[in-house]
Amino acid sequence: MSKIDCKNIWRIYDGNVVGVKDLTFTCNDKEFLAILGPSGSGKSSTLRMLAGLEEVSKGEILFDGEVVNELGPAERNIALAFESYALYNRMSVYENVAFPLRAKGMNNENVDKSVKEISEVLNLGAILKKRPAELAGGDQQRVSLARALIRKPNLTLLDEPISHMDQRIRTEVRIQMRRIHEELGNTTIYVTHDQEEAISLCDRILIIYNAELQQIGTVDEIYNKPVNKFVAYFVGQPGMNFIKCKVESPENISLQTNNGKIIFGFTGFIDPKHVGSEITMGIRPQQIRIFGQEGQKSTIFGLVKIIEFQGDSDVLTVELDDINKTRIKVVIPAGGRKYKEKDTCWICFQPERIHLFDRTEKAIIEKKS
Amino acid sequence: MAEIRFENVTKYYGRKLAINDLSFTVKEGEFFSILGPTGAGKSTILKMLAGIEPVSSGKIFFNDILVNNLSPYKRNVSMAFESYNLYSHFSVYENIAFPLRAPKWKLNLSKEEERKKVVEIASFLNIEDLLERRPQALSGGQKQRVSLARALVRKPLVYLLDEPIAHLDAKLKFSTQTLLREFMINYKSTIIYVTHDYREALALSDRMMVLRKGKFDQIDTPEKIYCSPKVDFVGRSVGVPPMNIVDGELIKKDGKTTFKVGKYFTIVLKNELVKSAEKVAKIENDKRHVRLGIRCDDIKLSEKKLSDNSFQLPVYAAVREAESSVISFELENTFLLVRAKENAECKKVQISDLLWLDFKPERLFFYEKTMEIYKS
Repeated sequence: MSKIDCKNIWRIYDGNVVGVKDLTFTCNDKEFLAILGPSGSGKSSTLRMLAGLEEVSKGEILFDGEVVNELGPAERNIALAFESYALYNRMSVYENVAFPLRAKGMNNENVDKSVKEISEVLNLGAILKKRPAELAGGDQQRVSLARALIRKPNLTLLDEPISHMDQRIRTEVRIQMRRIHEELGNTTIYVTHDQEEAISLCDRILIIYNAELQQIGTVDEIYNKPVNKFVAYFVGQPGMNFIKCKVESPENISLQTNNGKIIFGFTGFIDPKHVGSEITMGIRPQQIRIFGQEGQKSTIFGLVKIIEFQGDSDVLTVELDDINKTRIKVVIPAGGRKYKEKDTCWICFQPERIHLFDRTEKAIIEKKS
Repeated sequence: MAEIRFENVTKYYGRKLAINDLSFTVKEGEFFSILGPTGAGKSTILKMLAGIEPVSSGKIFFNDILVNNLSPYKRNVSMAFESYNLYSHFSVYENIAFPLRAPKWKLNLSKEEERKKVVEIASFLNIEDLLERRPQALSGGQKQRVSLARALVRKPLVYLLDEPIAHLDAKLKFSTQTLLREFMINYKSTIIYVTHDYREALALSDRMMVLRKGKFDQIDTPEKIYCSPKVDFVGRSVGVPPMNIVDGELIKKDGKTTFKVGKYFTIVLKNELVKSAEKVAKIENDKRHVRLGIRCDDIKLSEKKLSDNSFQLPVYAAVREAESSVISFELENTFLLVRAKENAECKKVQISDLLWLDFKPERLFFYEKTMEIYKS
């Protein structure tokens, strides 16, 4: 168990290519932290530096307060589980799990005790005698985890271990991983490009893009208070809608239509210097209210262009009546009103759901509750 | 556009049966999806339609004309392959324009007409910036959209699309799915669409087929496939988290019929449900075995007992979704997954908390067991 600190770490490759730029974060003891970003963002470089597979160009990595920059992978006592399970097919599940202990020269009795212990947690009892090739993907994943965890590592590093599994199996594997984490409480860092994966598993999420930290926070903070447009769009599916609007006052914005402007209030306020300028409003498809009739204040007229049935919800593409004819997506959970393509509707943006971004794509609402 | 009909089509690869006596009709102007896991036979169906693979037996009709012996050249289909199949010595523009230039269609377009069509479909799919590039210089997602544009640029009797957006990243996949739906609304055509992603099939189709090992389990509208799956396999094929499947037995006692799993889990069944359960029950060792299916949104969680169809189970684990949580419970040899909305009482559940699960009787389905459910 340990606390991981990265202090101003850089990774600079040959030719001055910056892989990771001045990254500072803490992963607390027993925490499950996701490092989330698109490919090429610097997340794998970060993982490799944590694992000791790659040199830190500048800055310090500390495990429980001690600098580990100069320690090799083995000395750091890290468990690594990669996407491909890399199980030994010629050995039984039992021997696969026991492998790291045997490599250390542990005696049979203690090996057996440890394997039994971890098998109980991971529910491997029934498959210990099988070969990895005989197992379903989810089971292989658990074996791989058991082998990673049996050494009682300081830190578990997971590199997209379940992204290629069948969607249906993934749900159950996530549940298993969450359960294991809560039982063992080991400090875990999970590197992924899949925002859904990060949301489902982790206590906190660190978002990295263009080699730089964008935001670190709980799932709720990241989802409800994104600090910039990139984070706002990257997390959530379908992505956040963006609509051009104008700042009327520190507490109001407006959408221009051919019949005049419609004013929307938002929770909090913005710097008065923005008044009069054109900015971007962001609103999540899941957080929009839609009506079949007019009646509400601060609504804008729209036309339902496309409906996509998703089983547990309908996703509507609505063309707004603003001068840009902006298209937005609206998610209606099953059981809500059924719309048809070409239906008219009225769209309401609730004040507490509105995000605002300036030209530099920074979120600018202050004191948003 | 055409009506497409399969009559008792069977396909063997060597000794391996790929398609097993399949009969179905795709209506003129219909968007028809074929959903199934890897190896179900989806691509084989498309290849037989395109004329790339011969049928082993049976008949394929386009508008009542038997096409079995027509070469691909004469069938007038337009196909997008999962593997893109782009011409690497041509630019993106020329790749997309290729079907327009094929002499067999006698389109005789002028340079301007051709450019107009190519640019139109390319900008529709947001790849107009790529027109002068070579395929080698493109990412997998870009190649896939070029391949799709090439398939859509000309109007054939039927479009055959094989996993055309499978290799796009999640955000782009979703927006391209929307574009496909828009394409279908704007240019009504017969489209046969193969996918392993249930979301695409539900969003796009007029009707869809769930295919398994060369045979289909159900052909229906997306709403019916999702809301009233006729087979356990269909229920499991659409929706994430997957439909809960619980194996148990039917017990008749004092004029009441109950569904029982293990020692503690019993649901009293009303008349209608008794009938549907009895229909599929399998008698073994004097016990009547049935399989129950219920979706994660059709079980309500509560700290109190809500009805006679409520059971108390300990929480096994919970995972988050953006706007909700999925809470799992262990029941005999399987998991029950239940979706809890963010604002519900159950947000902060802990492992081992006891919660009541209330089953909505109108959302219960009884099935014959046609597949194994593995617990991970």
